[in-house]
Amino acid sequence: MYLDINNLVKSYKKGSPLIKKLNFSVKKGEIISFIGESGSGKTTLLKCIAGLEKINDGQIILNSLVLNDDRVFIKPQKRKIGFIFQDYPLFPHLSLIDNITFNLDKSFLKNLPYMLNLTGLENLVSRFPHQLSGGEQQRACIARSLIREPDLLLMDEPFSNLDSSIKGSMIDEIYKILKQTKTTTILVTHDINDSLNISDRILVFKAGVLQQYADPVKIYCEPVNCYCAKVLGGLNKIVVNGKVSYIRPENIRVVKKSSFKVLVEKCYFQGRDFKVKGSIENEPCFFTSKNPLKINSFINIDFDSNDLMFFDSLCESFFQ
Amino acid sequence: MIKLAGNSRDFFKIENKRWILISFFLALFLLLPILIIFLKIFVDKGDSFKYLLDNFLVEYSINTLYLVLLTSFFSLIIGILPAWIVSLYKFPGRTFYDIVLFLPLAIPSYIMAFTYSDILSYTGPLQSFFRKYFNELYPFFNRDYLQIEILGLILAFALSPYIYSVSRVSFSMIGSTYINISKNLGLSSFKIFYKIIIPLSTPAIFSGLFLVIMEVLNEYGAVKYFGVNTYTTGIFRSWFSMGDIDSAIQLASVLLILVFALFFIDKIFNLRSKFNYKSNTDTNYLELLHKNKIIFAHITCFTPFLFGFFFPFVFILNNSFKSLKSTDFNHLLDLTLNTLFICLSASIIIIFLATFFQYSEKLTKNKLSNLINKLISLGYAIPGAVVALGLIIIFTTFNNYFNSVYLIGSFFLLIYALVIRFLAVGKSPIKSSLEKHPQSFDETAVNLGLGPLKLFQKIHFPINRTALGIAFILTFIDLMKELPITLILRPFNFDTLATQTYEFAVEEMLTQSSIYSLIIILIGSFMLLILRNFINKNTNVS
Repeated sequence: MYLDINNLVKSYKKGSPLIKKLNFSVKKGEIISFIGESGSGKTTLLKCIAGLEKINDGQIILNSLVLNDDRVFIKPQKRKIGFIFQDYPLFPHLSLIDNITFNLDKSFLKNLPYMLNLTGLENLVSRFPHQLSGGEQQRACIARSLIREPDLLLMDEPFSNLDSSIKGSMIDEIYKILKQTKTTTILVTHDINDSLNISDRILVFKAGVLQQYADPVKIYCEPVNCYCAKVLGGLNKIVVNGKVSYIRPENIRVVKKSSFKVLVEKCYFQGRDFKVKGSIENEPCFFTSKNPLKINSFINIDFDSNDLMFFDSLCESFFQ
Repeated sequence: MIKLAGNSRDFFKIENKRWILISFFLALFLLLPILIIFLKIFVDKGDSFKYLLDNFLVEYSINTLYLVLLTSFFSLIIGILPAWIVSLYKFPGRTFYDIVLFLPLAIPSYIMAFTYSDILSYTGPLQSFFRKYFNELYPFFNRDYLQIEILGLILAFALSPYIYSVSRVSFSMIGSTYINISKNLGLSSFKIFYKIIIPLSTPAIFSGLFLVIMEVLNEYGAVKYFGVNTYTTGIFRSWFSMGDIDSAIQLASVLLILVFALFFIDKIFNLRSKFNYKSNTDTNYLELLHKNKIIFAHITCFTPFLFGFFFPFVFILNNSFKSLKSTDFNHLLDLTLNTLFICLSASIIIIFLATFFQYSEKLTKNKLSNLINKLISLGYAIPGAVVALGLIIIFTTFNNYFNSVYLIGSFFLLIYALVIRFLAVGKSPIKSSLEKHPQSFDETAVNLGLGPLKLFQKIHFPINRTALGIAFILTFIDLMKELPITLILRPFNFDTLATQTYEFAVEEMLTQSSIYSLIIILIGSFMLLILRNFINKNTNVS
């Protein structure tokens, strides 16, 4: 494997590790997303990989080189890892070109025209950061990282400050750049759609423990526990033949006749369809409908039994 | 309804005009002496200026510029390096340094100069020590220390906290992101310091340096004692020794041009400050300093404290004990009370006026108010001797109409001059505090029926209390150290701790002057320690 994280432990306070014995690997050229709630240790993990934080136990190996274990610690300056921080920190006293070529080894200067072309920044090189839009600043940060041909690129919430109007095109653009340059990438995000759109594999992280690590389709359709299921999309609890099951809202259909009756509590218009909030045997239930539904009326719903998910009976209370 | 809205708008327009008008006339009153000196630049300079030009101006200019350069160079080193270490690294003793590195500000530069000239003199501890124990090395230390280079270094030790304090805040506020990205891009700690931290803090460092330069230009006691002829000593000399008020005015106007040039440069640097404290970056956590660098950290941080505070303080303390028997404690108490009276009265007036000007600008949001606020800060950039000279010219000129010459040598004129010179010191913290609070506070309060005075009493006074406290302490400390204005404008037979220290020192009675210096230092240190806590709480400096 290209990147190996073995039994990684990171704690700030003794006795309460933020990351507990984490194990995972990344193949060369893969784009991986870390998903987890705020404070779960996603950014800390990136900082450990980049060498900005030391690990307490375990091992980080990149391209067969041990970066950090109980004997070795390679300084962040010596690791060939690019890091794109959340707020596009371009140095404000330097022009765009000076930012991109900042502390750049001369051997990489040959990449400059290609990078400027790839990121569409050729005409902005003499501008200062405050003269650039958010998207341009972000592309400059990407160019600054990629021009050094890093062994690994780390991106910490890179899209969080972008307007929804340019976010989609930015993600497409970045995906294109990363795949063209075959850059192995780890992306930290709390936006599930970003993650599903761009990633080859997704790593779900909760309470310092890896919950699931799989490709987006598998993780969405076959989550290993109810936390992974919930974190990636809506989830309804439903009792089928006396057994507790779960189902995604988009897999529920409104039908004329069925044994599952839902009391409609609210019906919101959301453009292409209506979002319905109701209850089925006192359990809340969400789904969509092409047509508006009458509040306080009972309607029939149905679903394909193959779409049902089953988890351990203690799962839900465990992750609460 | 429409009529009511119209009326209320009219009411605010009239209300705004009233605030602007009062601000305008108050500012005119405060700027009058500076304006008078400024106008003298354009007046025919006549023979006195030619004489000055032929005989002294070149010497004054060279000495002033050389002293400014020396002091700036040394204070940048003494101020920036400890600020870098204390702001970014964790090491044993860091908290101690963070407190004591502000303390040299408690020692007025002229007291520092008197003390060091005594320490380094033939009978002082340094030469005596080498004579006694290392006689072969003695010839090396037996030299004339009253040199401009030594004065530059001494002034740097006294004034470097101006650079230390601004750098300390600026370095802490740069935050972790820029430092992390620099490490990620392969920069060593030292390269991060000079390629990122220094350029990002240039406007802040320059504003500290600006204060240092202003203090050097304003310095009288130390330069006079070291026999270095600068513009300020030239003004005193022309006026008091030669009785040539015209030459004094010409020199003051030359100094004013220099100050305006510096003011202009400072504005240019401030324009660049828009990038300085970018809010997109997290607090930087202190990095544990590597063992082999700890000695370097201690040397860098201890040196400014040792030479800027500890040595002079211990020496003054020792001298004070020696002169204890001959000290007239009633006189000492009188002078302390005089000093406190002057500092308290001037500080209270300054805080009142500074709050009025700033609040008026906030209330009216008017360009004229903004301009007035900028102009009234000019006083701090003008040497005290020039302010005093301007006032004397005004009060002698208008003597025919108001019999105003009798006001020369009154408390009124002394406090008037002190207010002109130190208004900017009190204004600065109030300005930043008022600017921090959103406009919606005012709008909500007005919507709830509060008029401008009630708005201040109920909202702005309570939420800006800390800033008012900081402003008061800063002004008080600066006033206590002030010398030239008090020397020129004090009432007959009225002395303060500063003037008494100076008078003993020029009579070569340094031991007798020590107890007066000691009181200044003790009050100043106490105030500075309170101030340091205030500032750290307000800026959340790590």
